[in-house]
This record gives sequence, structure tokens and C-alpha cells, in this order.
Amino acid sequence: MRRIGYQLLVAISLLGAAPAATRPRYGGTLRVMMQAAPTTLEIPTSAAPTDYWDSARILTLLTNNLVELDAAARPQPALAVSWQNDMNGKRWQFALRHGVKFHDGSPASGAAIAKILGDIHSGWIVRAAGDSLTIESDYAMPSLLAELALTKNAIVKRNADGIPIGTGPFRVAEFQPGGHLKLAAVEESWTGRPFVDAIEIDLGRSLRDQAIALELNKVDVIETTPQPAPGGMQHGRTSLTVELMALVFSPNTRAQDVRLRDALALAINRKPIQSGLLRGAGDPTATILPNWMTGYAAAFSTQPDLQRARGVLADSRQPVVTLSYDPRDPQGQLIADRIALNAREAGITVLVSLSGPADVNLVRIVLPSSDPATSLREAAIELGMGQPLIHGNSIEDVYAAERALLDGHTVIPLFHLPVASAASSRVRHWEPDRTGDWNLADLWLEVP
Amino acid sequence: MQWRGTSGTRLRWLTALAFAVVLLSSNLRASSLTDLARQLAQRTVAITGPGAIALEIVNRSSLDDHSVNEVRTALEAQLRGQGVRTAKPDESVAQVHVVLSESLREYVWSAEIIMGQDEHRVVLVSMPHAVSTGAPASAMPLTIRKTFLFTQAQPILDALMVEMPGGTRLLALDESRVAVYRQQAGRWELESSLSISRSHIFPRDPRGRLLLRRDHLFDAYLPGTLCRSSAAAPLTMTCSDSDDPWPLAIEEGGARAFFAPARNFFNGTFSPGIGKLSTAPSFYSAAVLPRSGYTLWVLSAVDGTLHLLDGMTDQVIRGVRWGSDVASVQSNCGAGAQVLASESGDPEQDSLRAFEFPDRDPVAASAPAEFDGSIVTLWTESNGSTAIVVVRRGGTGGYEAYRVSVACSN
Repeated sequence: MRRIGYQLLVAISLLGAAPAATRPRYGGTLRVMMQAAPTTLEIPTSAAPTDYWDSARILTLLTNNLVELDAAARPQPALAVSWQNDMNGKRWQFALRHGVKFHDGSPASGAAIAKILGDIHSGWIVRAAGDSLTIESDYAMPSLLAELALTKNAIVKRNADGIPIGTGPFRVAEFQPGGHLKLAAVEESWTGRPFVDAIEIDLGRSLRDQAIALELNKVDVIETTPQPAPGGMQHGRTSLTVELMALVFSPNTRAQDVRLRDALALAINRKPIQSGLLRGAGDPTATILPNWMTGYAAAFSTQPDLQRARGVLADSRQPVVTLSYDPRDPQGQLIADRIALNAREAGITVLVSLSGPADVNLVRIVLPSSDPATSLREAAIELGMGQPLIHGNSIEDVYAAERALLDGHTVIPLFHLPVASAASSRVRHWEPDRTGDWNLADLWLEVP
Repeated sequence: MQWRGTSGTRLRWLTALAFAVVLLSSNLRASSLTDLARQLAQRTVAITGPGAIALEIVNRSSLDDHSVNEVRTALEAQLRGQGVRTAKPDESVAQVHVVLSESLREYVWSAEIIMGQDEHRVVLVSMPHAVSTGAPASAMPLTIRKTFLFTQAQPILDALMVEMPGGTRLLALDESRVAVYRQQAGRWELESSLSISRSHIFPRDPRGRLLLRRDHLFDAYLPGTLCRSSAAAPLTMTCSDSDDPWPLAIEEGGARAFFAPARNFFNGTFSPGIGKLSTAPSFYSAAVLPRSGYTLWVLSAVDGTLHLLDGMTDQVIRGVRWGSDVASVQSNCGAGAQVLASESGDPEQDSLRAFEFPDRDPVAASAPAEFDGSIVTLWTESNGSTAIVVVRRGGTGGYEAYRVSVACSN
């Protein structure tokens, strides 16, 4: 009896516990699928959000920036270990990390980094002196650190074939443009050797193909739509709202009368669109920047007000407005149709059309930084607006700049949207960044 | 921790410490909220002027109900102090709609002020999120006792308590420094910081070990790097590249193993060896159990198996679902020494349990002690009777260090 009791205790000790927390393990190949099918490994200009995310996620594996932003959007050292700036923010000096090398073995010296940044920013004067770097401009750059953390400011060279040569934890081992990309772990990476040996990325795979491949256990990390993950998907993750869907009026729009744009903004009933067509994903918004970035979104009403919309129009005679959308966006047409319906209730005629130049476009853009001032500047560029005048670093300064940008209603923000992804059960430490990056260098694979 | 006095004294001391920390933290926060409320009131009154306003407050932040009530009380008091009283909308010159919100960085409170039909203004105030100063001490009077030590944002690789002139010090090792804390008014205050200079690249899952020494205060073992402190005050530290094996045993001169400098494990080579054994499979951690006539070593291998080394043989135990980290503690209870091992794969909550090896198989000897996060570090302290546990919290991502010991149940 005593023996049976002892054996029972042993059995409990051996088998009773849940799977134990283990340290990261080295080895294996991570299998990834992406929708985008880039022919070059760079951030495309005016990219669709999908293309941006996929290119950015690849470049993040290959490169580093001078500075990176942490989870609270605070600048942290990367290739630069420290920095200081003058009183008016026009001159910044950076001390660079010693001993970092590009994947081709050349040193990531001040001179090399100065050339890369100087080529990207013609308005900056970038000088190197040994292991320090100075960036100067004629205008104040209070958000320079956040700007340097943008993927487009990654420190990267290119070989004769245009393949990126960075300082990141992976290097390109093989690239078939638009088809397949293989990355190999960099043993001497200054951030520490990644846990997996390699990453194989299948490009140009639809969301449906990716979901099926995950079900069949043929892939480890995929993109998904930001809705509840279907059966079989392990570790579904949804980011913060890092994309903006908005109406953008063309410069030559027939809707030149600000009353028409104001009335349209008041007529749109965002909530039913968000809960129905977007299946509950994201948040209705009347701001360019999401609340998690600024905290002031509540100061901009998203409530429709048809009575006020009709009052704004009064008895004015307004032209018919054409509305276009991105045909690659699966919800684009349905949302455009719903907006046209809302507009009609306010007495505005909106025709949804993909042919010819449109008066207003339904667009979706990426908010590429968790720093509000930087994201506002980048969004303004993407939306074709003038550069915002942000006088300082406080949230009140950003609020004033955004309020001024939105006053003319040339852009009507509609929704902030997240991005989503999922990983198979053999992937461990699957903790994508809340702002959309995948952090694949920190993943490891469970022993089969 | 070199506790002095009786267990009753310890309990009273811990209770007082916990109360002091909670009170201090609570007062600090209340003061900040009141200050922010004062700013919002000032900006609001600058627009409305004195008189009656209809005030509505909506909370869309992480503030709890108690804090929101504090804000409401403070805001109304500040408004009253500036000649503004709250009233019904139809008796008011303005409607003020306050939203308590927040971003990743800061609390952001907005007041939307509506005066008449046309005038519509918004004022904002903001305050950075407070940096967490850690939770008060907690101890579970179960078989495994855990005592909270401190918290920080950066990964804590090891910690130890040491008696020095002027009182107990807490030494905390991370990738960049050894921080020396001294207890002041119930809190650990940073006394000095010894930087780690290194030329070696640390792996992504860096590990480190702090050990007290006889001829100087401590050694800090890091991947490819060894740091040695001075023997006396003022405390200094010198670091150099090193592939010396790391001590596995507490006593100096005991078994040592080589740590793979670009990985997160020991490569399985001992120097000096364990009895006649000089190699074993790569392993993450080791625990030692004294036996009559020999010493039993328990290795947590990289392949997930346990290896029991008695100096002559290497016995493999498969199917034990422990974590990667094990440590031993002398308790003078039960068999006298136990192996601590983490359980659970839930990233939100790991637990630690004591095991004994009456024969060759582990037997649970305690109830699990729960931690709010994943256990990332577990080392036996230099005194041999306690272990340091570091937990990585989900959400905030901060790291918390605990000291654990095994106490007799009866």
C-alpha cells in the first residue's frame, strides 16, 4: 500500500504538471507566409498597408536604426548608444555603438551611417567624426529620435543586385523576387544571435492560403484578418490600431465648398459600418491619430448629426460628388456604398465609382510610428495634406496641429484599424509588438 | 537575507514595510492626480470665468473608481476655489464634458467646454504614467515562502543580499550593471551602480550569476565575461573577457561548468568535474542534493530531459514536465534539501514547487507557489538556504525579483 502511494506521488510529480516554462531553444527554420509579393526588398512609396507591413517586417529583420521606440514610445538606444541636442533641436549629436558590422563585414562606422542617412534626407546635414554622428537642419527637429526609428530610416546598404545589407539579426540567404525569401541567422549579431537558424518566407500568398497552410501545419507565422481566429490557429494576436481609413478629397474636387465637406463628415454613421462591415474590428474615429497614441480622441465627436448636416448645407446647391475606393480592399466597395447612403440622407449625392478621377477617395494608410508627432507628419504626407505645424513636444502641441489639419475637412477620418497575425503551436515566445512588428528574432521553436 | 530577530519580528517588519510602501505610493499618486485636476480646473475657468457650470466626467483610462472619485472631488474643489460651482445644465453658463483618457505615454484629460450655441473649446492637460516602484513585500506562509525584493524594467539576471557596514545591501545584476541598493525608510534606494564593461556580445536570452566570495565581495559571471568586485568600500568592479567555468556549487572549489558564451546554456563540460564525470549533455541549470556518502546533481538538459549525476553514472529521466531552471535549497525540513523547479507553461502565471528525490524519481514536496508572470531566472543564493527567482510580468513587461525558501509545514 505504501509502495502504491509512493508510485502515485511519483506519477503526479512526473505527469501532473502543466507544460513547463522553458528557456528559449536554438535551432530550426521558421516558416512564414505573407500577402505581399515584393520584387525589391525596400519600403515601397505610397504602399498599400499590406505591402508596407510585409516590407517593414522583412527589413526589421535585416537592419537596425540609430534609435528604436520602446513599448511606451520612448526612444531607446540601438546603433546609437547616446545622444544630445542643442536648445532649439536643430543639431543632434549621436555616439555610435562600437564594433557593429554590416552583413558584408564592413564596419557600421559613422561615415557609413552618415552617407546612408544623408542620401535619404537631403534637408539634413549629416556628418561623421569617428564614432560620433551629427545631424543638423535649418529647422527644429524635436521629434528627430522618433523619426530615426522609422523603418524608412533603417541603416542599410545594398549590393549590386539591390539586396539589403544591414546590421540586423538576419541576412538575406536567397531571394526570388515576388516568390520566396530565405533569411539566415547572423551568428555575430550585436543584438545576440537569433534563436532560429533561418526564416523561410513564402511571398504573395492570400490570407485564405495562409490560413489553410496553418491548419495543415505547413507554416508557423501568418497574417490574418483582425477577427476571432478560426479553429486551428494558435496564438492569434491583434495589434493596437495602427492603420487609418479615411475619406480624402482630391485637390481638384468638385466639393470645394467647405460646407459640403463638413456636412458629409456629419452625415457618416461610423458605428454600424464598424460593427457590420468591419466585423467589430477597430474603432470609429474623427481623428488621424488613434487614442492610444494621443489620449485626446474623445475631444473629436464621431457621432452622426443629420440635422446639423442639413443645417450646414442650408439651401445651398451642391454638386454631385464621386467617391472612389481601393479595389484591393475587400471591404472598400461596401463601405463606400454605405457612406453614399449616409450622404443621401443628409441631402448630398455621392456616386461610388472606380472610373475617372474621383472627388473623394476612400483610403487606408499606415500610422508608422507610436510617436504622435511623427505619425501625424507621416500621415499628412500619405494623405496629401500640408505638413502639420507642431510647435513643441507636448500632447497639447500635437492636438493643436491635428485640429488645424482637420479644420478644413479635406480629410474625414473614419476608422482606426489593427493588424492581426497568428502562429502555430510549435512557435514559442510569440509576442508581436503591439504596433505591428513580429519580433521574429526573439521567437523559438518547440522541440517536436 | 540575513534576518535578525524572531519570526514574529520579521512578520511585523514585513507588514510595516508593506504598509509604508503602499501608503507612500498611494499618497504620491493622489498628489499627482490632484495636481493634474488643479491644472484642468485652471484652464477650464480661464475660458468659462466664474459662475455655474454643468460638469460631466467620463473615465476612459485605466484609473480605478476610487481614483476617479478622487479626481472628481479634487476638480470640484479646485473649481469652487476659483469661483465656479456645478449646477444643472439649464442653470449653467457652460457645459463642461471632462474625459479622463490616456495614451501609451501619459494620462490625457480633456475638457470640452460648450458655451451657448456656437462657442466650443477644448482644453487638455497631461501627466506621464508613473514608473512602477514595485509591489509591497508578500510572503506566503506555505511550504515555499517567497519574499518580494524589487522590480525594474530591465531583465534581472541575479540578485543577492549581503550584510555590509551600515546595514543590508541588495545587489542586482543586469546586462549593464550591478546595482547596489540600501534600505531606506522601507524602500530599496539605489546607493551605487557598478557598470559592466564588456567587449563580448551577449545572447538574446542573457544569463548571469552573482556569487559572494571570501577574499572580495562578489563575482559576477556573464556570458564570456567575468566581473570581480573590490574587497572593501568604496566598492568598485573590474570586468574582463573570460571563458572560465561558472561555479555550480555554492562552496568555493566545488564543481564548475563552462557556459556557452553565445547561447543560454552550459555546454556540458565540467572543470573540476562531478566525481568521475567531466561531461554531460548541454544543460540550462543544475541543483545539488547532498546524500549520505555522495552528492546527487540534477541537471535540466537542453533537450528537456533531467539528468541525475552521482559522480559515477548519468541517469536520464524523461517525461518530467519541469521548466528549464532548477535550484536547490537547504531547508532542514524533510530530506534536508529540496530541488526547486518551475511548472506551468502559461506565460501569465508560472509556479514554483519543491521536489525531493527519495529514490531516483522526483516527488513533489510542497504545494506550488504561484507567480504573476513567467519565471526567467532561478539561482541558489550564496547562503545555500534561499534562492532568487526573477519573474517577467506580462503586460508591462517588467521584471520582479523574489527570494524564496522552503519552510517546514508543521
